[in-house]
Amino acid sequence: MKRPPAVTELVDELKKLPGVGQKTAERLSFFILRGPVERALKLATAIKNVKEKIILCSRCHGITEKDPCDICQNPGRNQAQICVVEEPHDVYILENMGQYKGVYHVLMGVISPLDGIGPGELTIESLKEKVAKGNVTEVILATNPDMEGESTAAYIAKVLKPSAVRVTRIARGLPIGSDIEYADSVTLMKSLEGRSEML
Amino acid sequence: MGLYRTNAIVLRSIKLSETDKLVTFMSEQFGKVKCVARGARKIKSRFAGSLEPMTHVYLIYFGKENQQLFSLNNADIIESFHQLREDFQKLYTGVYLNELVDAMTVEMQEDKQIFQLLLDSLNALQNQSGFETLCRMFEIRLLSVSGHRPELNHCAVCKTAKVNGWVGFSYARRGIVCGHCMKQTGTEIKFTTGTLNYLRKLLTLDINCSGRLKFPKGMDEEIEKITHRLILSHVGRELKSYPFIKNMAAIG
Repeated sequence: MKRPPAVTELVDELKKLPGVGQKTAERLSFFILRGPVERALKLATAIKNVKEKIILCSRCHGITEKDPCDICQNPGRNQAQICVVEEPHDVYILENMGQYKGVYHVLMGVISPLDGIGPGELTIESLKEKVAKGNVTEVILATNPDMEGESTAAYIAKVLKPSAVRVTRIARGLPIGSDIEYADSVTLMKSLEGRSEML
Repeated sequence: MGLYRTNAIVLRSIKLSETDKLVTFMSEQFGKVKCVARGARKIKSRFAGSLEPMTHVYLIYFGKENQQLFSLNNADIIESFHQLREDFQKLYTGVYLNELVDAMTVEMQEDKQIFQLLLDSLNALQNQSGFETLCRMFEIRLLSVSGHRPELNHCAVCKTAKVNGWVGFSYARRGIVCGHCMKQTGTEIKFTTGTLNYLRKLLTLDINCSGRLKFPKGMDEEIEKITHRLILSHVGRELKSYPFIKNMAAIG
């Protein structure tokens, strides 16, 4: 006996999500089906809202419900310090830390030769324009320490060099709580390069 | 279930599910191998920097003999080639070499010559400038060790070794065509014997000396046309990193 078309439709839609296969999609579908109507409608409304209300901030390119976003228009934030991140969700990871008081700039990706993504596909021009206005004192490059992230950071540092703004890179090295015994040579080298005074 | 140990170079590393990575290696013993590195994206992963493209590693992986996807057990860095990642041109040239090997090889087919060619080329790239010459040298040598060496010593039509003045190149016959045969058969491209001598040098010169070989102006484009189009005819598509390198070179 075939499943009712409505259930099949839900399974097919859920299957399109990353990391969700046929079995997981079926399990989720029957969980939604068995639960109260309010819960299912709440989920549907949340999905609808996120697609209808969320826009990109015209200043930092992060996700927001109003333009400019809360971080960009907060007078308590240091507008002269810009932290450059790859994706909008990286902003919230850094915000969870609670220590950073500057603003952000989201690149919306990284330079990736194998995926054909060049500097033109990112928001580097908008960053350059921001820096060119002369109010920025420091640009912190917080891209991932992998090949694409490093090359993107190096490219940004190169294009910002003529503006004489201070360009810094987040530290790379050993994670807190790790064991030096299992560290690879590149990580150890980077941690030695980025060592700091104790006193 | 077998446990395999070999030297390998990381060709490509892509994100897979929450914390895993799907890594393509060119190994010395087993040819091109794809492995899943579980937990590789976690901040305290033991794989850490060892799965970055162009890294030369000592690899331990396991799986059934005829399967396509293996599980990565360990990857120890032998040479990180980190200097390649600190220079744009070197980085993108290295990515192009990696993509070429990925496109020209099939999985689980041992080819020590290709592994050695890639390793030597990455070493040469790290230690010298002259990326264009190295790219052309790599392209023609990769074709050569893959069994598609173009005929550069004899006319591909009449087999004569005496070629003077203008020489043609036939992609269909995969070789040079002498002036006499060129008039009869016609060719897609023609060049001087000087260019031919440079092409021959690309096959014989020590790869570590590629930086010393400088093409005269205009000749570099001719050579690129020949080697890159030969590559295209084998791969059947344009490589993604090739137009990228050209664009980045134009940006400066």
